[in-house]
Amino acid sequence: MMKELILGSAAALAMALAAPAAAAPTVGQPAPAFTVTDSNGRQHSLADFRGKTVVLEWTNAECPFVKKFYEPGVMQRLQAEATRNGVIWLTVNSGAPGKQGHVTPAAANAKMKAAGFNSTAYIPDPEGALGRLYGARTTPHMFVIAPDGTLAYAGAIDDTPTANSADIAKARNFVQLALADIAAGRPVATPTSRPYGCSVKY
Amino acid sequence: MLGRWLVLLMALFATPVGATSVSQQPNTRVELLAESASPAPGAPLRVGVSMTARPGWHTYWQNPGDSGMETRAQWRLPEGASVSAFRYPVPSTYVVEGLMNHVYEGEAILLAEVQVPPDARGAFPLRLQLDWLVCDDRICVPESAVLELPLRIGTGAPDAAAKRRLDAAEAALPRPLATPLSFMKEAGRFRIAVPVAEAATVRAAHFFPLGDDVTALAAPQQASVAGDLLIIETDASSVPGVPETVEGVLRIERDSGVSGLAVIARPGAVPPAGTPLSGSGGSGGPAAPGFAAVFGLAVLGGLLLNLMPCVFPILSLKAMSLARAGGSESAAKRDALAYGAGAVLVCMALGAAVIALAAAGQGAGWAFQLQDPRVILLLMLLTLAIGLNFAGLFELQLSTGSIGEGLAARGGWQGSFWTGGLAAFVATPCTGPFMAGALGAALVLPPAPGLAVFAGLGFGLALPFLLIGFVPALRRRMPQPGPWMATFRRVLAIPMLLTAVALAWVLGRQAGADALALGLLAALAVALGLWWLGLRQARGRRALAPALFALVAALAAPAALARLPVPEARGDAPASAGLPEAVPFSPAALHELVAQGRPVFLYFTADWCVTCKVNERGALSRPEVAAAFRQAGITVMVGDWTRPDPAIARFLAERQRAGIPLYLFYDSDGGVTELPQILTVGRLTEVAAGQQARGVQLATSGRARRDS
Repeated sequence: MMKELILGSAAALAMALAAPAAAAPTVGQPAPAFTVTDSNGRQHSLADFRGKTVVLEWTNAECPFVKKFYEPGVMQRLQAEATRNGVIWLTVNSGAPGKQGHVTPAAANAKMKAAGFNSTAYIPDPEGALGRLYGARTTPHMFVIAPDGTLAYAGAIDDTPTANSADIAKARNFVQLALADIAAGRPVATPTSRPYGCSVKY
Repeated sequence: MLGRWLVLLMALFATPVGATSVSQQPNTRVELLAESASPAPGAPLRVGVSMTARPGWHTYWQNPGDSGMETRAQWRLPEGASVSAFRYPVPSTYVVEGLMNHVYEGEAILLAEVQVPPDARGAFPLRLQLDWLVCDDRICVPESAVLELPLRIGTGAPDAAAKRRLDAAEAALPRPLATPLSFMKEAGRFRIAVPVAEAATVRAAHFFPLGDDVTALAAPQQASVAGDLLIIETDASSVPGVPETVEGVLRIERDSGVSGLAVIARPGAVPPAGTPLSGSGGSGGPAAPGFAAVFGLAVLGGLLLNLMPCVFPILSLKAMSLARAGGSESAAKRDALAYGAGAVLVCMALGAAVIALAAAGQGAGWAFQLQDPRVILLLMLLTLAIGLNFAGLFELQLSTGSIGEGLAARGGWQGSFWTGGLAAFVATPCTGPFMAGALGAALVLPPAPGLAVFAGLGFGLALPFLLIGFVPALRRRMPQPGPWMATFRRVLAIPMLLTAVALAWVLGRQAGADALALGLLAALAVALGLWWLGLRQARGRRALAPALFALVAALAAPAALARLPVPEARGDAPASAGLPEAVPFSPAALHELVAQGRPVFLYFTADWCVTCKVNERGALSRPEVAAAFRQAGITVMVGDWTRPDPAIARFLAERQRAGIPLYLFYDSDGGVTELPQILTVGRLTEVAAGQQARGVQLATSGRARRDS
């Protein structure tokens, strides 16, 4: 009886520990499945995108590291270029209500319009479910899922961890490189990097 | 005085103008320091960048953690000069929403060496473009500044103020370890062992890896000591593969301050975890700061115990008997000391048992003995007997018996000693305010000071009686003995018998209806025995036989109880009282709810915990509290510790608590608030209102999403 109790609680504790707030999925493994609702109320399931490359971009419009890419229009250009090539680009905001950068669906639509987003959809994730599923830590934090459903890239948007737009020109954009590798049927040369930016405001 | 100010002013102005360059940004003050305003050619020049985030904000270490940014420096140096990378001070941890940040709060000085070329002449300006990130718990702001120090080549004479600050920064740097070290990263865990001087004095430690592929940064780290080795074990990074080398800084906290070791390790064998850090300093001695505070809390808690329904009658009767005795000064002192010794020794004995069981991993806490229904039954029969005695059913005489309450009624110091012990034992169901924190701390202290805290509890319990014994003025203020005392004693029987009823209820809930029936049968037998005893006493006859009968009944019943089948655990039905719609406590469920950002009100209770029950019947059961919680979407979670539960014991231990009640509120932002042990409706609804203010936005955004 006592032993069972101890074993049971040990198992419970192990489970609790095995599911930390930011359990990152592994590159090369199938990307975690999800069904989410975008800012226009449409549902998107990862399963629906089989055969297409999917980019997940974590955003927070008030984060300086996000502004770094949106203010000079770099992120919008990246989104346009990708979606033109048939890539599904989901912009995700896991900011919790009351936290910096949190959006309601209406605010998300307004923001997309004002800043000229070219992503496929904007996913408000105020409960942080998608964020925690992917272990998103920073804004931006980028994930690329290959057409076969495996996670092909996870990490920073580029190799220059600053908040200064002037640094973009010299930086290597890991997402652009990963998309090029996937399009050419090559393995992704840099499949992981350390994400940088503001913390996701769960 | 004036002279000193003048000297100070002169010292300020004597510093070459601009020898330090300062920039005050909105959230950070940064300053470039050089050891000398006139560096010598061909020599290294020590420089430092001081960064001071404003209160509540932080700047970042080299490896900023799960988010954040390393400080970047772009130097513009005179021709031929070069500069080293920064050497960073020891960082600290800062966890927000499960994301680890490696930070500096307050001032941090990053050190570097500028190599001055041998042929340098004249002006030698240092220019630095600094970019850094400064954050509080909500937002991050990148800041930058250009700092400039217009040095001139000279003799290399040090600038006293700058040198002092740089020396202090240098002394606080992590010290490199010469010893080759090993680490293990396998099966999802990471372990490293680092030789540390006087490992036993380490109170807390954290390993900060430089790389991303070492540890899961936000996972809790278990620090333990095995001989001279400090062993850190934690979850491994989800980045696969075993790195060839692991570099990082081990932060070590002692009572004497914080230090750091710069560590480089290679894969290899690492000894298993040793003794967990005691969280206290000194090698066993009660030297830890906070010991005095903990001890003080224990004394205060013990003092308040005197007001508890189970203890008050014993104390007041004893005080009264002292007044009645009207005895000599020395007899009063002797009685008071004996009573104090009894209380202290029983508290220490219980404390020693708790410490021993806790050390053996049995998950014991204060009042642990009440998890055993036999103890409950014994206590119930004891309170019944005391109650009947107060009621005048029988009298205690020296010849009555030689144990338990019999001893307590003995005249002289022996009687006082046993009364003190009895008071301490009977007091255990009444965890009072201040006690929980003190006893929790006692469990994490080394055994000797831990026991001292329990002794403090007994001392506090005995304090009123000691005062009466030692302060004649107080004794004189005690009411004059008279016939009223007999009446008063009979009145005091009521709380005592009520305590017995409460214990009967606990017994029933703990061990089922059969056990309750057995207990009531034993109660009847004891009562009959004592009645018989009283009758014989009234006739002036010897009373050994009835006394023995009562005693046998009191001892046989708990023994028989052990033979009864224990009913199945009550499963997930929490105690009837308290908030409706409560879910049972489980660490996994709690973790999940918190991870989802759901607000949770978690409380622990047990049928034998009087304070818990008072709160449950009182503030917690009020409909307005339930309504406020429901409205704010707060999940109520109850841990019932009536019977032993290792999960609850471990949870309490992690929060450094020895006992219950414990009331915790996890808000939707992940913050945890501990509520006081005496709950009020106002405090609870306030918590709910605070949460609702956060939750309103959540609810509306959720609805809007469904509508659109």
